[in-house]
Amino acid sequence: MVDITLRINGATCTGSPEARKTLADFLRDDLNLTGTHLGCEHGVCGACTVIVDGRAVRSCLMLAVQAAGSEVTTIEGLAPDGGLGTLQQAMWDSHSFQCGFCTPGFVMQAVAFLGDHPDAGEQQIREALSGNICRCTGYQSIIDGVLLAAERNRER
Amino acid sequence: MAAIAAERYTGASIKRSEDQRILTGAGRYVDDIKLPGMLHAAFVRSPLAHARVLSVDVTAARALPGVVAAFTGAELEEMTVPGPDALVALLGGAGPTPEFTLLATDKVRFAGDPVAIVIAESRYVAEDGCEIVEVGYDELPPVTNASFALDPGSPPLFANLGNNIARPHSRSEFGDVFATFADADRVMDFRIEVHRHQNVPMEGRGCVASYDAGLGVMTVCAATQSVHVSKIAVAMRLGIEQDKVRVLAGDVGGSFGLKIGASREELAVAAASRAVGRPVKWVEDRGENLTASGQAREESFDVRAAVSNDGDLLGLDVKMVIDTGSYPGMGTMVPATVEAMLPGPYKLAALGFESTAVTTNKAPYVAYRGPWASETFVRERVLDLIAKDLGLQPLEIRLRNVAPRTDPPSMMITGRPLAGVTTRESLERLAQVVDFPAFRRRQAEARARGRYLGIGVATFIEAAPGPRSPEGPTGPLGTESMRLRLEEDGIVALFTGQMPHGQSHQTTLAQIAADEFGVPFEQVHVVAGDTDVVPFGLTGGSRSATMAGGVALHGARQLKAKVLDFASHLMEASPRDLQITDGRVWVRGDPASAIAVAEVARRAASGQFGSGVDAHLEVEATFDGGEGGWSGGSHCAIVEVDAETGIVTVERYVVAEDCGALINPAIVEGQIRGGVAQGIGAVLLERSAYDEDGNCQSATFMDYLVPTACDIPRIEIEHLETVVLDADVNFRGVGEGGMIVAPPTVVNAIEDALSPFGVRIYEQHLPPARILELVAAGS
Repeated sequence: MVDITLRINGATCTGSPEARKTLADFLRDDLNLTGTHLGCEHGVCGACTVIVDGRAVRSCLMLAVQAAGSEVTTIEGLAPDGGLGTLQQAMWDSHSFQCGFCTPGFVMQAVAFLGDHPDAGEQQIREALSGNICRCTGYQSIIDGVLLAAERNRER
Repeated sequence: MAAIAAERYTGASIKRSEDQRILTGAGRYVDDIKLPGMLHAAFVRSPLAHARVLSVDVTAARALPGVVAAFTGAELEEMTVPGPDALVALLGGAGPTPEFTLLATDKVRFAGDPVAIVIAESRYVAEDGCEIVEVGYDELPPVTNASFALDPGSPPLFANLGNNIARPHSRSEFGDVFATFADADRVMDFRIEVHRHQNVPMEGRGCVASYDAGLGVMTVCAATQSVHVSKIAVAMRLGIEQDKVRVLAGDVGGSFGLKIGASREELAVAAASRAVGRPVKWVEDRGENLTASGQAREESFDVRAAVSNDGDLLGLDVKMVIDTGSYPGMGTMVPATVEAMLPGPYKLAALGFESTAVTTNKAPYVAYRGPWASETFVRERVLDLIAKDLGLQPLEIRLRNVAPRTDPPSMMITGRPLAGVTTRESLERLAQVVDFPAFRRRQAEARARGRYLGIGVATFIEAAPGPRSPEGPTGPLGTESMRLRLEEDGIVALFTGQMPHGQSHQTTLAQIAADEFGVPFEQVHVVAGDTDVVPFGLTGGSRSATMAGGVALHGARQLKAKVLDFASHLMEASPRDLQITDGRVWVRGDPASAIAVAEVARRAASGQFGSGVDAHLEVEATFDGGEGGWSGGSHCAIVEVDAETGIVTVERYVVAEDCGALINPAIVEGQIRGGVAQGIGAVLLERSAYDEDGNCQSATFMDYLVPTACDIPRIEIEHLETVVLDADVNFRGVGEGGMIVAPPTVVNAIEDALSPFGVRIYEQHLPPARILELVAAGS
């Protein structure tokens, strides 16, 4: 076990995960933050994406101990009052998702991407999200949600 | 009336009520469940495709700190009731019954076959335990393809079958096959192959089983398409009375046919939980999902087509072989549906159909979105091959052969009426939306510059639920039930046997019931996923739009009548003069009389009415599908094939479809696009691959490629005006059609693109390497 301290969704957290425990399992098992999903555990599907120190990260490929001292944002931390952030609202309006299992990863990836690329067009967004797999939608509704969020962000 | 119609929820793209939790990470999937004292399971799996199991030693694993228990296949058999696969038993099966155990005992039959289960304090430790289970194997020759399986000399997977035939050869004839072929201008021969690929939901299979020894009650939280089908399997296999098994499900992360009922592993987890007296969780990882959850398709078709010189497809004679992998079950039932559907919407005069199902040392066959879809692939491929030979355009040959819409309806040569089928209209719509002559000009110009564009068209029909047959519904899934109750707070609760896993029933069923009953959408709640409270049902087979939508409509109508009957006592008015709008009951023409339905429900619950008044505001409704009907349509793809790299780009994809009345257009379109994406993936990327020793070569997402946002184009969708068949329920299923028809649509487009090379395509999987081989062979 390794003692670690990190900030998660704005609050300081301590824990003692096994050295081999992934950040994803630490979030889900030790902190009950089950919004982060595991779709492949080998870094391809993107379902487990969280934001670590401002960057989108596959939490299945990062050990919890590697996140010590970092600032981590998960899907639960996007709109802490239980409401929807701009992107989540736009995705709701766009019927973006079906089964919802890939959703947290797409949302976190898109939030990180839009933060850096507020003016991104469709092709850029498709490329930015091409490391996330959705099996239900054929992607169009997800892309539309991100485009709508970008538009609303620009209007504000 | 117009104003009221515009206020209907049904037909509008109402935003999903599921999304609040899904978008905030508050969905509750099976892996999110934690129970006090919960343990974790992992499976020891065979590294070999075919071997005798000589020994399984779990001693070291049991001694590992953190491991609570480990069971071999033989031990698990002693803890459970032997019998065939529960789903096969439920559905009747279609062939001899092979030996079936939850874990392998004397033999392993595919690489990934589970041989032992380890139960530990964490999944990490359970997997550590699996690493030190010693299994002795005596390797047997693997049977890795259908042609070897058909060889009487191939080593039988199942001793009690004696060979590798999972369903014996059979032949049917419809119409005069001999005369049709004898009289035809030409007879053409093809061998068409469909490759093995699979569901790959983003959430794998999984469950949490918990046994209360005091009560003798087994509770299983599962990722499933039907809590009741899972429950039946648990009760059968664990030898528990059905009333003492409860299966629950929350959010389910996709399935596409994979999660019908309880798998071998889930049943083993339930048995282990009972043995250790603590809750046990198992959620498969992606490696297990890709190698051991199940795979689909892998069929070959020897096709003879009887054709006129004008391009009439007069008859087909088809020999199908399906490779159902190990532990044959569902796959043995597929040929019957392929046979029934093979004529499609066309006026075929004769069909000969024969089939054989074999078992091989690969992952078991599971249902995957349109399990019988190869009938559409074969038929639509054959039409294009004929068109190429005769110099006909793809729309031309289809319009020529499609059965006319008549009254009474034309009959498929296999026996079902083509009632309300609008294939012709869908083809004509494609011709309006896609400028085919302009494309041909652009194609010619591009070819002159060394670029290869192609256009492909394919049509399908889908029995979703299918036309009403004179014999009426048959089998356990023939009708749909729903319990509806007006709660004391005015909520209309729908208890459905549907088990949504992405289909948005929480939204769509509420839309229908809200309109019919007369309450705001938010006032209808859909309850699913608990065998103690919901009726039998299954989400699958594209049946829920009609069946669950229909029972929601009729059930809400019945509940409303009951509420109005009761309210008539309260309001001293005839029920005929009462109506419900916007959640209030009022006397027609007297808005001041309105009282909230919640108030009516409270008064009903007060017990102040005598036995002459029915104050039980609940109904149990059933629906048999009404007049039913077909879903269907035509798809068109425009692709560019890079003859240097073999890469295929789908430039444009257009859908013209008819699923009857739309409940929620955005949800319908999501189902179509998702199916098309899986079909594009099946052609360009996905393959469950095995080497000659039976090792699965596609065990990760780096080897089994599913499409990403860069692979799938915008998909344009045209909805056709439907033919009204039923007085009330004209919603038809739309879940499978995209996946059924996209593969032939894309393959037809690729063949068209490669026509300068003289390429003819007889297969479904066309990754870049295969495209380059075709180009090289053609030129």
